[in-house]
Amino acid sequence: MSDTSTQNPDAVADVLSAREAYNAGLARSGARGRSWTVAAIVLILLIALPALQFVGNYNYALHMALYTLMYVAMASSWNILGGYTGYVSLGHNVFFCIGGYVSGMILAKMGVSTLITAPLAGLVAAAVGVGVGTITLRMRGPTFIISSIALLMIVRILFDNWGYVGGANGVTLPVTDLDVRWAKIPYYYAMLVIALLAVVASYRIKHSKFGLGLRAISQDEVKAESAGIDTATYKVAAFAVSAFFVGMTGAIWGEYLTYLRPNIFLIILVAAYMVLMCIIGGKGTVTGPIVGAILIVAFNEFFAATLGASEINILATGLIMVLVLLYFPLGVVGTLAQKGRLPRFLDWD
Amino acid sequence: MGHTLQILILGLCLGGVYALMACGLSLVFGVMRIVNLAHPSLIIAGAFISYWCFTLFGIDPILSLPISAAILFVIGLILYKLVFEKEARSAKYSEMTVLLTFAVAMVVDGALGAMFSNTQRVTSPDYATDAFFFGTIFLPKGQLYAGLISIAIIIGLVAFLRYTRLGYAIRATSQNRAAAELLGVNVNFVSLISFGIGVGLAGAAGSLVSFVFSFFPAKHWEWIAILMSLVVLGGMGSVQGTVIGAFLLAVISAFVGAYAGATWSTMTFFVALFVILLVRPQGLFGEKPEHV
Repeated sequence: MSDTSTQNPDAVADVLSAREAYNAGLARSGARGRSWTVAAIVLILLIALPALQFVGNYNYALHMALYTLMYVAMASSWNILGGYTGYVSLGHNVFFCIGGYVSGMILAKMGVSTLITAPLAGLVAAAVGVGVGTITLRMRGPTFIISSIALLMIVRILFDNWGYVGGANGVTLPVTDLDVRWAKIPYYYAMLVIALLAVVASYRIKHSKFGLGLRAISQDEVKAESAGIDTATYKVAAFAVSAFFVGMTGAIWGEYLTYLRPNIFLIILVAAYMVLMCIIGGKGTVTGPIVGAILIVAFNEFFAATLGASEINILATGLIMVLVLLYFPLGVVGTLAQKGRLPRFLDWD
Repeated sequence: MGHTLQILILGLCLGGVYALMACGLSLVFGVMRIVNLAHPSLIIAGAFISYWCFTLFGIDPILSLPISAAILFVIGLILYKLVFEKEARSAKYSEMTVLLTFAVAMVVDGALGAMFSNTQRVTSPDYATDAFFFGTIFLPKGQLYAGLISIAIIIGLVAFLRYTRLGYAIRATSQNRAAAELLGVNVNFVSLISFGIGVGLAGAAGSLVSFVFSFFPAKHWEWIAILMSLVVLGGMGSVQGTVIGAFLLAVISAFVGAYAGATWSTMTFFVALFVILLVRPQGLFGEKPEHV
């Protein structure tokens, strides 16, 4: 016994602290249940938010809420692949783009609103996800990350040069004929529903056998496979689920902006935000991406209001990402959970 | 026939430049298993140094090459000390560093964009737009000089790796980190120096890039996939393999560009990257790695 501790004290300490944290976590979740009240209150407030339009013009607040909900949905679904499964994709906005273009082109050619076709856009994105995932998920670690960037570059060139969808200039979509006061509301509710679905899906996956398999893959894929997990299918399924929700948000976002253009969807910043939100909130936790999305959107808005230029924004995003990765790798939720100080309403893991 | 030869020559000139751009990336990966996504953004930083030397003081980009290489070398040392030394102990090192270098790339991109704005620039010494003519075939001077200088620098690098004590240490660390450490190599120092050299090579490449291509701060996202394809094709971490990969892909993309249009010539690299990662992830000359 004493031999092992002298040989490698760090490893032993790691194991001990991990076991302690695990036991503490078990004790905690045993002692208290889920905080349904806070979740319900937040949801009711979000549903009631558009009522502000009766008393004045709160379009800005609605826009910010919609924008945050979009990123909650995207970060939560990125988390299914990047957080639970451990496959970091830096090209996930490819599915955002595919979703946006599928629904957007249907709207432009046939006049069917994206509010109706969003699930279809999600399915197409998921199908593409299955195709791409079958190929790229055979790679692991850094190689997978590089392949995801290559995918982003390929799709960017394709969309920039595809005449049917307007190439780099994109397509203009018909503007809604609702009064300006109510114009945002359908999209707001659509985003709310998608965000809710994505978060619920993320929660359900985490607490299922499927999620357990995904987390086993992120720990050690070879051992997971030898324990009888069909890793190939699990990974592709996670990729598809993740692409599905990202595709749906893309569909709504396209019509909301009233135009489609490759440089809305396929810029590296969108992909970086998804990653950053998950890491800053807590990668692999259910509530982490939500916290991260709120923090990053608020921070961005603050920066845009005070400093303006988007270059400064890229600089600041990069700087925060470096600092978080170096000094705060577990994120808000992860760090609080490790210290046993996680408030109950954030504890859904 | 003349047409084919012409394309081949242009491809080979560009291949030299690509090789220099990518070999720093390869060196850093070989020694530290860091996939340095910030490498192309640092090349652009080097290009800006040469650009301003030329615009403000009239210094030829070829002459300012040592300046930008030296500045970037120091930046490399600082980056390693600040960011990567700390991470070296973490278990998921190479995956973590991909995210870190990605973030560093954003910082460099944002800083350059904020200072100099995202407009297309190019350094234009006289030779950049001049050419030698041999009958129907022409040799653009700028690309020729850039290609030759790149090859000279790479030969210098290979000689350094092969014939100096530090070079031995770098190669030993690259082959087997633990064994090198056991034999008394100061692995941390070697990592520091080779990261510095890798980034310094980015600076040198930047000076050449400044008159071969037009550049702007956000352009590096396109280059990262191009450079990765060269490195992956040659076998990650092997400088010689990277050089061969660079010439091969540059020539192929020159032919694709000539027959199918410039858009698809860039696409060659991305598709090649995808295919290589799938079919032969260890590259043409690499050995089967422990974890892909």
